[in-house]
Formats: sequence, C-alpha cells, structure tokens
Amino acid sequence: MVKISSIIAGLLAVLLTCGTSVLAQQYPAVDGRQFPLNQMSPPGTAAQWAVNAGRVTPGSFQPVKVTLPAEGKVTFYESWDRPLELAAPAQAGLLVGRMYRLKVSGLEEFSGIDFFPSIELIDRLHPPAGREEDFPIDFEFTIEEFEWAAAGRLVTKVLYLEQPDRVPQLLLDQTQRITTIEPSRNALAEADSLGRPMAIVRMGGRTPDPHRPDPSFYGPGGPIRVVKRPTEALKPASHQQADFSAGWRGPVAAGRR
Amino acid sequence: MKYYFLALGTVVVVCVGCAMDGSHLTDKGEYHAPPAAMMARPGPMVDGPGPGVIPQMAMGGGPGMWGCPPGGPGMGMPQAPATSQIRFVGPIGLHIGWLIPNGYAENQLVAPASYNFFQGGTYRLKITNLPGRDAGGQDPVALYPTLQVYPTHPNTEAYLTHNSVPIQLTEEDLEQVESNNFVTKVIYLPDAKYQELAIANVETLVSTRLDPGVDPIQEADKRGTIMAVLRMGNKDLGSAGPVARPMAGMGQDEFEQVSHQVDGDKGELMPPMPIGPAGQNTPGIPGAMMMAGSGYPGAPISGVNMQAWGMPITGTPIGLPGPTHLPLGGPASLQSHTVRNRTQQNIPKPTKDMLIDVSHEPGLSLPPPVGYINYKEKHPVYSPGELSNPAWNNAQPH
Repeated sequence: MVKISSIIAGLLAVLLTCGTSVLAQQYPAVDGRQFPLNQMSPPGTAAQWAVNAGRVTPGSFQPVKVTLPAEGKVTFYESWDRPLELAAPAQAGLLVGRMYRLKVSGLEEFSGIDFFPSIELIDRLHPPAGREEDFPIDFEFTIEEFEWAAAGRLVTKVLYLEQPDRVPQLLLDQTQRITTIEPSRNALAEADSLGRPMAIVRMGGRTPDPHRPDPSFYGPGGPIRVVKRPTEALKPASHQQADFSAGWRGPVAAGRR
Repeated sequence: MKYYFLALGTVVVVCVGCAMDGSHLTDKGEYHAPPAAMMARPGPMVDGPGPGVIPQMAMGGGPGMWGCPPGGPGMGMPQAPATSQIRFVGPIGLHIGWLIPNGYAENQLVAPASYNFFQGGTYRLKITNLPGRDAGGQDPVALYPTLQVYPTHPNTEAYLTHNSVPIQLTEEDLEQVESNNFVTKVIYLPDAKYQELAIANVETLVSTRLDPGVDPIQEADKRGTIMAVLRMGNKDLGSAGPVARPMAGMGQDEFEQVSHQVDGDKGELMPPMPIGPAGQNTPGIPGAMMMAGSGYPGAPISGVNMQAWGMPITGTPIGLPGPTHLPLGGPASLQSHTVRNRTQQNIPKPTKDMLIDVSHEPGLSLPPPVGYINYKEKHPVYSPGELSNPAWNNAQPH
C-alpha cells in the first residue's frame, strides 16, 4: 500500500515537472494580453511600431529633461557631427517615434568617463496647449545606474505615465519610483499594466570608435528643439501650476534590467 | 487488483502527459510572440519586394533600428557596416596587435582598451607583453589567437549598441596555453532565464572549465546568443619560415613581396584584416528568393551564359563528342577507350522523398483580431455646491 502510493506520488511529480519546464522559457502574459515586444527587442523597434500603428504622430516634439545626480553635461546629437551640449538638468525637444543618442559627461564621480545612453520615445504627453515645455518627460539617472554601465552592464529603463486609478494615493510623492523586475519578465508589459509607456532608456559602457568616425554609433538622430525660456517661467508662480505639478506626477521609471 | 489498475492508469497519464510536452496540460491561454528574428520580417508570410510586402526591418547594422523617419522604414538610414566593440580587459599592459595584409600590425592596443571590429569576420590577433613571460628574453612570447566577431542578432542588438564585449585572458588561460592546451572562450549574452542578475551582462564559457567532450560553442548557443569567440593555442606564427616569392622569369619587372610591419608604439595604426567569416548573417531565416520578373538574364541562354549549342564540353583521347559531322582525314587508329571504376561501392540510393518537421516550442499563439469595440465615456456628475476634486489629490473639499 505504502509502496504503491510512493510510486504514484513520484510519477505525478515527474508529470508536473514535464508540465512546467516549457513554461519557464516564456515571458509570462500580463493581464492576459499579448505583448510582442519586450525590453530586449532591437532598439528602435517599439518607436517604429508606434509610428506605423499610428499611435504617435511623426514629427511631433516631446520635451525631455535629463537630470543627473550631480553637476554634469548632457549632449544631444542631431547627427553624429552636430552635437548640442547643455548643462544638466538639460531640457530639449525630441521627435516622438525616434531614437536619440546622448552623451553624459563631466560627472565628478566618474572622472574621465563618458556615458552614451539612448532614449527611444514611443509616446508623448498631452499637456495644456502652449505649456509643453513645462511638462517634459524627466529622465533621472542615478549613481547606481552609472556604476552598472561603467561595469559593462546594460541598464534598460522603461518610463511610463502612471494611471492615477492604479496607483495608491500613499505613493503619490515627488520622487520617481523605480521598480526592478526580474529578467524573465516583460518590462514593457509591466509598464503598460500600470500606465502608458513613454520611453525606453538604455545605457551601457560602449563608447564611439576613437580610431575613426563612427556615425552608426550615434544613429541617424533627428531634429532637436531647444526653447530658451526666462528663469521666471520655470518657477511655479501660482498655486494653479502647483496643482498641475502635483497632479501630473510625471512619468515614473517602471522597469529596469 | 484495484491497485494494479490504479498504478497502470497513473503510468498512462504520466506517459501521455510527457508526450504532450506538458504545456498542453497546463495551458493558461498565454500568448507567445514569434522570435525577434522572425518579427524583423513582418511579411505577411512572404519576404522580398512586392506589393503589400513590408520590407525587412533594418538589422545587423548595429544601431540599424534607430527609429524610423517619416515615410517608411529603412528610408534615409545610413547603412554602415556593423561593428562590435571588443574590450580587452586584461591583463593590464597586454599589447594587442592583429594581422594586416602582408604582415602584422603590432602594439595597436594596450589593455585595457577597446576596438570596434566589423561583425561577421574572423581576425588573427597578436598578443605580446604577457605578464611575467617577457622577462629579458630576446624573443618576446607572443600568442596568435583568432577572434570571431559574430553578427548582430535581434537578441543582442540592444546590448551591442550600448555595450562592449569584454575579453579577459586570465592566468589560468595562459597556463593552459603553455601546457599545449587549446583554449576556446565564448562570450555570449544569456537568455533571460539564464541571467542571474536583473542587470543584463555577458557571460564567458571557457573550454578548459567544461567537461571533456563538451563543445563550448554549442553550450553557449543553448544558453544564449554568441557575440564573440576567442581561440588560442601556442602555435608561433611569427617564426621565420619559407617566404612566398613570385614566380621566376618575370623579366626586369620582377618584384618581391614585402612584409609590412606596423608598430603602434611608433604611432602607426592600421585596421585588422579579416581572415574568414564568422557566424550567420541571417539567423535561421534564408533570404528572399526572386523567381522571375527581375529582368536579369537568369535563364540559361545558349552562347550568353552557357556554352554555345554544339560546343563539346567533354574531352577524350579519341576525339570530342559533339554534333554529327562529316568525317575528315583518315580513320582513327584507336577505336575504343574505356575507363572502369572498380571501386567497391556501397552507396545508398538517393532519398526519394524528404520530410522535415519544424516547430516552435511552444507554438505561436496570437489573440484573435478585434471584432467589436464598446467605447463608453463616463462624465462626473456633481450637485450644486459640490467641488470637483481628483482622487489623487486626497484633499477634503472645503
């Protein structure tokens, strides 16, 4: 009696093992929906699909603001031979549906090391008309991320605009929330379940070829729009603007690999 | 008896379950997208230029997918040859050179240093200044490994456009080479399920650390996507050997092949020369095949791209086979010429029918297309005197 039960239990264990071995190889579905793209898709694919699907209008600018953990410089590239260097926090308008290469330099913690992250804009915000520059997508880089990139790792962040009814009110503070997910999970799907994915940021340790011009490293780039605004306009002068800033919350880094 | 049937039933269930690959029994209705290499060719179902066919998305150009300018994919994008940045991590102070036409370019890099190698090529390196092995010797110890730089795969494109591929020669590697062992180092990007940390990083498989008989390339291919392979032995390719000279009797214009020596220490730099291909350019999917209509004379045309009609193509000592003609001159003395192959042969007949079963595992599963949309907007309704306050504000009306 005991012996037969042990055999049956062992065989059932084998059966369960056979059943789960295949599933472990797949990205699990999120909310029962299909997400053909993930964070390891070739760079630019998500932006290209967004344009092809008509989700974004080609040629529309989306202001972005790159924030560093300390003083530094941010260089945007219209093309490989047309850099535009700005002091951090640097704000510029980039075309939605494209991918830009950036250079981050002048960080005290990383003397002599330049970083070349890329920003892939797959969606845009819809602020009040005429106030687009007041609501940029904020890309915040941390010291930890620069350390990973300097060590030769690939840091991938998916920024999304969170959906208010899916975020607990207790979490509504001023800082961005960064959630690190497992490599086997789809960061784009996770971001989509919490809101609207806006951009994919990738950063590693590769640098352009020092021996010869390396246009392909920078990609085709694209037009960059820089609006110089008076300093007063940046300050929240009225409580109405403060309400906007509190309510909008900004995109939040969702996934990071 | 009932225990017998119970055990028998369990065995049947287990066998059937394993034969069904398990996933059928635990199917949760998940969707499985096609692999990235297949999605780079949207189709539909066919490839190549044609009406309604979406061209292949740019790939293999390193940052080839850098967004799509308005007007269509692949338009206006520079198609520069793809490169992989190889980072020679150490030992620190290692000198790296490589093969160039008619010689070696020595001391091109000093580790730690990086260089962008064109993908899809195999390069012969020359490594000198090995730590602890050049102590006062007149002939410095040099290694001549080969470096295979694999083409970009959709799985590795994000990594290769943002990261370099690290290669480090350890003391163990050098000792293995000195012991007449052949060292193969495979640098690959592991699949998600094999990644130990959340931040993607490459891994290296070394042949000397694997069990005997285990191919590091096959093993790395199982775990992820290969980006570079370094093979290293102790064969000295710098020793003096017979010098290839051109054929004699070329008259006054006879020239001698000159061996070039380029030294990076003197500021002389020269790109490496590939000595062979590496990897596959099209991962698993053959290129488009155009059958007709291209306008190019692909069909055999007599006298144009094949022998003219009647031109003999086979030679024998008794004449040339060809079209019938009137005999000329005297009769041929040799009347018969036969060559017989008496080799014992046991060669099976060609296969008459070929059947190849291919399948993705798990199979592709896509949701059904949208056939119904119910769009409804809800507008807030407030009583007179009631203040509209968003939920996120968490403030009490006053």
